[in-house]
Amino acid sequence: MLSALGLGWLVDASLPARRTLEGAVVGADLRLGHALRDGVDRELPRAAPERAEVVIVGSGVSGASAAWRLAASGVGAELLELEPFAGGTSAWGEDGVVAHPWGAHYLPVPEPTARAPLRLLAELGVLTGWDAAGRALYDETRLCHAPEERLFHRGRWHRGLESGDVLSAAEKDELARFHERMSVFSGAVGADGRPAFAIPCAESSRDAAWLALDELTMDAWLAREGFTTSYLRWYVEYATRDDFGADLTDVSAWAALHYFASRRQRTEQTLRGSRYLVWPEGNGRLVRHMLERSGARRRHRHVVLGVEATRTGVAVEALDATVGEAPVLRRIEARAAILAVPGFIAARIARGARGLIARPASPWLVANLHVTRPVEADRAWDSVLYEALGLGYVDAGHQRMGLSEQTVLTYFRAYGGAEMAATRGQLAARRWGELAADVLVDLAAAHPELGEQTSRLDCMVWGHAMPRPRPGFLRATTQPFEPAVLIADQVAWAHVDQTGLALFEEANTHGVRAAEAVLAQLGVAASDSWI
Amino acid sequence: MSDRRFVSPTLLACVVVIATSGIVYELVAGTLASYVLGDSVAQFSFVIGLYLFAMGIGSYLSKFIEHALLERFVEIELALAIVGGFSAPILFLMYTASGAFRATLYLVVLVIGALVGVEIPLLIRLLQFRLDLKELVARVLALDYVGALFASLLFPLLLVPRLGLQRTSMAFGILNALVALASTFLLPTAHEKKWRLRFSCAVTVAALSLGMVMFERFALRGEATFLGAPIAYATQSHYQRIVLTRSPRTTRLFLNGNLQFSSDDEHRYHEVLVHPAVAALGREPKSVLILGGGDGLGAREVLRYPNVERIVLVDLDPEVTKIFREVPVARELNRDSLHDARVTIKNEDAFGFLETCTDSFDLAVVDFPDPGNYAVGKLYTLSFYERLRERVGPRGVAIVQATSPYFARESFWTIAATIEAAGFRTLPLHVHVPSFGEWGFVLAGGEGMGAPRALALPRETLRFLSDDGLPGLFLFPRDMAPMPASVNRLNDQKLVSIYTSEWADWQR
Ligand SMILES: Cc1cc2nc3c(=O)[nH]c(=O)nc-3n(C[C@H](O)[C@H](O)[C@H](O)COP(=O)(O)OP(=O)(O)OC[C@H]3O[C@@H](n4cnc5c(N)ncnc54)[C@H](O)[C@@H]3O)c2cc1C
Repeated sequence: MLSALGLGWLVDASLPARRTLEGAVVGADLRLGHALRDGVDRELPRAAPERAEVVIVGSGVSGASAAWRLAASGVGAELLELEPFAGGTSAWGEDGVVAHPWGAHYLPVPEPTARAPLRLLAELGVLTGWDAAGRALYDETRLCHAPEERLFHRGRWHRGLESGDVLSAAEKDELARFHERMSVFSGAVGADGRPAFAIPCAESSRDAAWLALDELTMDAWLAREGFTTSYLRWYVEYATRDDFGADLTDVSAWAALHYFASRRQRTEQTLRGSRYLVWPEGNGRLVRHMLERSGARRRHRHVVLGVEATRTGVAVEALDATVGEAPVLRRIEARAAILAVPGFIAARIARGARGLIARPASPWLVANLHVTRPVEADRAWDSVLYEALGLGYVDAGHQRMGLSEQTVLTYFRAYGGAEMAATRGQLAARRWGELAADVLVDLAAAHPELGEQTSRLDCMVWGHAMPRPRPGFLRATTQPFEPAVLIADQVAWAHVDQTGLALFEEANTHGVRAAEAVLAQLGVAASDSWI
Repeated sequence: MSDRRFVSPTLLACVVVIATSGIVYELVAGTLASYVLGDSVAQFSFVIGLYLFAMGIGSYLSKFIEHALLERFVEIELALAIVGGFSAPILFLMYTASGAFRATLYLVVLVIGALVGVEIPLLIRLLQFRLDLKELVARVLALDYVGALFASLLFPLLLVPRLGLQRTSMAFGILNALVALASTFLLPTAHEKKWRLRFSCAVTVAALSLGMVMFERFALRGEATFLGAPIAYATQSHYQRIVLTRSPRTTRLFLNGNLQFSSDDEHRYHEVLVHPAVAALGREPKSVLILGGGDGLGAREVLRYPNVERIVLVDLDPEVTKIFREVPVARELNRDSLHDARVTIKNEDAFGFLETCTDSFDLAVVDFPDPGNYAVGKLYTLSFYERLRERVGPRGVAIVQATSPYFARESFWTIAATIEAAGFRTLPLHVHVPSFGEWGFVLAGGEGMGAPRALALPRETLRFLSDDGLPGLFLFPRDMAPMPASVNRLNDQKLVSIYTSEWADWQR
């Protein structure tokens, strides 16, 4: 025993020291976030009142889109953001060898109906032109380079998520049958002439026959249609977790089917390959562009507490926590305000507002792992582990040309069960070491060596990451797909909570719509609508 | 009585070491098997099963050992030290040198298992005079299992990552031999026998230590047998294993075990890579871009044109360009082209280079490894050729190595179709290179580019090409004739799977 120990010691001492893992739980300042819920001391010192043309609360995709739209009509905006960083759930980090996402990480090439996102991509030079049939063409270096995805199943990696070679005949048949159904659904048109599933979702059919799918869970739909193999159920649940953070048993069948049947467009470019647009920083790249383009002034660590009508417009009250120890109250008078925040927060800010919807929200855990590992020529952008707890990870360095030993891997885990509040509480109580271990353990089947290769592992807990489209979620608005935009005089709302599907196209469209509504109220001659 | 209860702690430590090393050999075999044969579940399962079974055989056989127990014990330990210690190097050699890996693997596992199986019963019998049986079996077996736990923790956490498989197996061989040595001190035997045993122990320890020291060269020798010639230079860069072999007649370059060129016939390849393109250009190139081709052989051909002013050579791997600047055999081959004042070497990714480069070139020579994986595959995509076109403009010419139109016909025509889709006019050509077989290239230029008719070099400068030979390069017989192919894009890289399956078909 002693000699063996001695040998171990010798080996260990003679080789470079093992790295210790560093990291932290970053982002989402809970205390600050809860200032709004718990109320703040009204006796705090007050900063001198200020004026702005339009105040936008929240710098996520919705808020940034609103600023982008306003600026195009010559209206300036001031953005107030609770967090020290911009982007909301499309935030990104720039530390380490490559920028990396903290939330939204890809945008499928938008459908022709998603006009605002298409305009944005053209502005960025990512959309380079149109083919003879009028379909958008892209700078191919921005589409996800092959291989896009790989699946770790039964002890090894397979190309794509559909690991054909390990599936049983029954599983393969069912998968084929499922794809067939989805292709029928994606061509389906309702009695009102609209496609059954469209993006933005407001373009979808109102035909009751299709909307009836919103009364079922996806789990019930699969059972009803005789889809029973465990692989297919895993495959579909992977999608509902990835897009909505929801398990099959807690998600509307309409929403789940929307995921599979709403993206129809295929061009020569995307016929056989990836149709995802990806950037190292994820959709943060798009937010950054809109913020820069708008030239809007941005103030971080500002919790907006309330908005009220004044004779000339609105007054927004915020807690300015830029200097953490000495917060001050700041009042900004503006001609109008756009609340680009979730419904439950908007309801606290604008008391008595009309038509706000508070959606149940899925909690998520995101981790960024700064790794150094041997180069390998065939790594995919997205690595998924069959039946793991999380959704796997994406490689932020994937679009780089050339091979590098260093990169940042972004790990995602959605908590899809029904007990969202309880999970949120448990997650908030977990310390960094526990979260880091959760992540490494979840990936260990495929990467036992990952802990050794990681020098830094940061975690972000999103308590309210995204609205969850539970059965009946389309009934939350009085008319399907038509949420309130103007919720009070000179106050508009823009957020993915409006329609309940957390997609870039939705947020972007909501932001633009809210900005256009405000422009109309201010009597600014807006050029054509961007929607 | 008190005497009978005493067993020295060193002896007990020996038991742990024995047990640990037994399990370590088993793990080494299992790991190597799953590296080489794949399917780790099956491999580990076979190895463990066979090992335990062999232990049973060993235990049974132990009953036939009746005399001179200590001597036999020491001999068994030494045998184990040698077979176990050299198991990883032997298996590695078998893998590289012959197809007998599987048979050797199972044989090695059987032998080790059997030896381990004899070991413990023998040890128990050796100690039975010191302790009563109940006590003895309890202690020895308990320690044996402790050793097993110890090994299975040590192996993945410390040994493999730190020492690697080969050195791990040899290190435990040494430990085994040391146990043998220790037992000659701890257990009673005749004096002169002791010295003989100690001597064998010392020899074994020395052999294994030498093995560890020689490890680097040992691995190389395995490779040399594999590559079929003595190794002139070998190194492992960030990206690949680079080996230059040299026999009296030929020098060869291997990257990750794949032949890149052989000095016997590389002139065919490199002449066709460069001179038809210059002929098609219709003027002597002043500025030339070479992508890939860190061996300097393409540059050597380009430098035959006296009016060349500037060559920019982009090769990802600094180790490759270093070898071809420094190693004598390599410099002889490329005639020191990489030391020419007109050559600028850039060690970066070619795609990244094209994205940032703003210079223009008369001629671009694109000579990458075949599109066998997604990282090189990027250099065969539409986006890549579009960027290449920006660098040569409508008056320049590019030539692209495009794998074999015979062995990988669809791959070849896919590359041609992709280059064409980037806006080039293309002229595919091919040549027979004995070490490779039929090899293909795609000549790419602007609207006005026509098939070259005459070389722009004095007669007899070249060994293979001549003016009359030129038209033949552009004729594709029926079995390599053009076929419908689609464009290879960054987001699908269909070429990689086409290429891999086409070559796999030939290797069946
Ligand atoms: C982990 C994760 C992965 C995702 N992946 C994708 C993806 O790949 N593709 C995709 O299309 N979508 C993805 N999404 C969905 C994503 O949420 C939407 O695309 C979009 O970012 C939503 O933007 P939003 O502006 O509507 O809302 P939010 O992102 O919620 O923005 C709200 C903003 O308001 C701020 N705020 C809140 N309260 C206050 C206050 N009182 N005062 C001031 N500021 C306040 C918040 O800090 C935040 O910045 C993902 C979401 C998550 C969480």
